[in-house]
Amino acid sequence: MRLNNSSNTLNNENLPGDFALWIFIFAEMLAFGVLFVAYAFARANDVALFNASQLTLSLPSGVINTLVLITSSYFMVRGVDAIKRGLSKQCVHWLMGTFLLGGVFVGIKLVEFNAKFADGITMSTNNFYMFYLSLTFFHFMHVLMGMVIIACIIVKARRGAYDAKNYVGVESGASFWHMVDFLWIILFPLIYIIR
Amino acid sequence: MTNRQKTQTQASYFYTVIWLVLVALTIVSFWLGETGMSGKGVMLILLVITMIKSQLVANYFMGLSKTRLLWRGIMFFYFLIVGSLIAIAYLMGVG
Repeated sequence: MRLNNSSNTLNNENLPGDFALWIFIFAEMLAFGVLFVAYAFARANDVALFNASQLTLSLPSGVINTLVLITSSYFMVRGVDAIKRGLSKQCVHWLMGTFLLGGVFVGIKLVEFNAKFADGITMSTNNFYMFYLSLTFFHFMHVLMGMVIIACIIVKARRGAYDAKNYVGVESGASFWHMVDFLWIILFPLIYIIR
Repeated sequence: MTNRQKTQTQASYFYTVIWLVLVALTIVSFWLGETGMSGKGVMLILLVITMIKSQLVANYFMGLSKTRLLWRGIMFFYFLIVGSLIAIAYLMGVG
């Protein structure tokens, strides 16, 4: 263990952000990993049902949400880069962009959920929808949690809590948000495309 | 242009290139989905694209490329193991 002078981060060889948050990130990755693999093996038992049900999903919504999250991750990394250079205002602007795109993702997902519920689809409809609804809702909750974290960072950054020497909070929030992004990057082709 | 500004521009350019690669790979995946292609080959291509995208986010957006090998290794093997198990499950379901 050593102290990283540039970000005041106490961690093992510069993992970005707070090391405690990384324990949480690894635990979340494990939980999602188990669900991804469980989905794939459940599908192997009933390929026809999964393929037919998959066709009822909106592929354009899925791809737009993927592009939205990827872009939000890009905004986030630009925000971290800005604060590392001491550009607090720029950092806030990039983070606000990330937050707004998180809101777009949530909006699109709510429309998708609403359409499915309006069609009478629930988790007990079949195994595919059980996985689709539970995986996407679990991820959806992480997006909301990420947005709350980003909102807190924005408020603190506007008060001048971060600068070029103290940005561990921004890095921690960014690490969580990027995790939310790459989990969706796996989830999207798994649920929406691969058949 | 000062050295600091030059470094800043280079970093911005690098992140933008990574973002564009991610967007391009997403569009390729979408195109494969839209054409309705299926089978082992397409499944493996989609999984490889997914693993590349995930690694790009982890290494360059998260910044793990600058950390010690252990952390990069954990992330790499996570994607490799999850991706491989998904591939095995799909191969079991083909045909």
